[in-house]
Amino acid sequence: MDTLTTLLLAFISIVLINNLVFTKFLGICPYLGVSGRIDMAFGMGLAVTFVVTLAGTLTFLLDHLILIPMNLEVTRYVCYILVIAGAVQLVEMYLRKFFPTLYDSFGIFLPLITTNCAILGLCLFINLWQIDNLLEAVVLSFGAGIGFTIAICIMAGIRENLDLADVPDALKGAPITLITAGLLSMAFMGFTGMIK
Amino acid sequence: MSKIKLFIRQSWLLIVSSFFFGLLLAIADAAWTPRIRHNKSEKLNTLMSALLADAEGFQLAAHLRIDSPYAKTIETDIYKAIADAGQTVGWAFNASGFGFADKIEIVVAVDKDFTKITGFDVLSSNETPGFGDRIKSPYYRNQFAGVPADLLRLKRTGDPQTIDSDIIAITGATISSQAVVSIINSTLPSVKTQMRQKELIDNEN
Amino acid sequence: MKTNAQTSVSICKQTLLAGLWRENPVFRLLLGMCPTLAVTAAVKPALTMGLCVIFVLLCSNIVVSLMRHLLKPHLRILMFTLTIATFVTIADLFLQAYFPTMSETLGPYVPLIIVNCIIICRAEACASKNGLAVSIIDALSMGAGFTLALCILASIREILSTGALWEIKIMPDIFTPWTAMRMPVGAFITLGLLLALVNAITVRKPKSAAQ
Repeated sequence: MDTLTTLLLAFISIVLINNLVFTKFLGICPYLGVSGRIDMAFGMGLAVTFVVTLAGTLTFLLDHLILIPMNLEVTRYVCYILVIAGAVQLVEMYLRKFFPTLYDSFGIFLPLITTNCAILGLCLFINLWQIDNLLEAVVLSFGAGIGFTIAICIMAGIRENLDLADVPDALKGAPITLITAGLLSMAFMGFTGMIK
Repeated sequence: MSKIKLFIRQSWLLIVSSFFFGLLLAIADAAWTPRIRHNKSEKLNTLMSALLADAEGFQLAAHLRIDSPYAKTIETDIYKAIADAGQTVGWAFNASGFGFADKIEIVVAVDKDFTKITGFDVLSSNETPGFGDRIKSPYYRNQFAGVPADLLRLKRTGDPQTIDSDIIAITGATISSQAVVSIINSTLPSVKTQMRQKELIDNEN
Repeated sequence: MKTNAQTSVSICKQTLLAGLWRENPVFRLLLGMCPTLAVTAAVKPALTMGLCVIFVLLCSNIVVSLMRHLLKPHLRILMFTLTIATFVTIADLFLQAYFPTMSETLGPYVPLIIVNCIIICRAEACASKNGLAVSIIDALSMGAGFTLALCILASIREILSTGALWEIKIMPDIFTPWTAMRMPVGAFITLGLLLALVNAITVRKPKSAAQ
């Protein structure tokens, strides 16, 4: 029961309260780039969720099984980024071989994900928050992916409608997207303080 | 055989440069780790000395695990504050818990018999600027200096000048104020009990 | 020979200016958004971040440029990442050792330089194709452009959110600090408006500036 509550709290906190896009500014690049259409955004979100869950779990295991026992914390960043790049490659190969249709739908996003800061960012935050059990790390990683998907889909929905609006010339493109993101992040601020 | 050759031809640069980068990291680590350690202990020491005025030095006395009612187990280091002549003048320990936005880490200092809290300070927090981060302000912190080392209560209104177990919340930051009180409440009693069990402090009080 | 030298000088000059305005990583290329938004609540962390990026960019450009003939195409990105991650770790250790408070303020955003698109983009687009001199100049100019953008954003936010610049009070007492500017909202909206301003300037200027 107790662990369940902790996990649920962790999940809600990473999805809404500490949403990576709106409070930690992670994953802004794809957020600006691909969030033009809802179906694309959703595909990207799913791909990120998949990879971030894998990467979060793997880096957590790597940290606790190899780096900390062997006092190799200095190589942490190098190892993390290699694990993430490796995970992305693996996912790509696996999908291409076994789920060709799925690969076609979000295969194009996969190479982009290696340099998505949301993934490395989440691994670093798991380390920073001193999460010490595997289950919580997995839930946090999965939640981070869901949070990213929610953010990017909300944004895509708004941008689809924004196409019909008369935006001043100078604000077209990135500026209006950023301002919208600002307003959205204000809305997400309402979630802070939910967990005591 | 030719497979190995191919492999080496493809990746020799990667292997050589990994070795080189590893060496670079090792040098940087060896050169700066002592300094980094020193910085960390320095920060904690400065905070603790501000809370325990008579202390000349600090010594790690124990490492405890506390089962907190809300969060998971909290680990804490207990430091013994020692005066010039060598007698114990107080204790300090670190504790953490969830605040409004993120984790709050604090240092709590108590007197030598664990009867009074002498104060607390924030090690790290990410509370809203202008609201929650006023838990660092003297207005709030001074309320803790000298209160009995038992359970504290948070009240919305009252006189912050009176030193007793009633802590008056910061207007607009009730949750952050509550967080600090909860962190102290969830750690202090069990630190006290465990310290008694270990006979590091007297059992009389 | 002489014309050759002249052209290389003019190339250097062009690269130098490109990073500051025409190809400014933040305002024109929209690269490296994550640190741009995250560390610009005040000028001090923004400048530190900018300097870290310059250091990493310079080192990675030098290393990549030196081994550009040895790179195998499919291992290229891996080599870039490895190089960048190593220098970021060094920068992070240095900050922890000599500027511990700054290191705490920046937190995970220092290691996040690894996935900052600017660095990998310059390694790919410039350093793996050009000689040492051009790569160094490119790194310096891109880094300076990035730092400049960070500092502009950070000064606006710091002045409005605390009434101070570089922690020195400059606004009159009557000024009420806009706390929102220190939070994510302020970052998004300020950057949005700045980009709009840059757009407006380039639209008004004839094509020569926009090229």
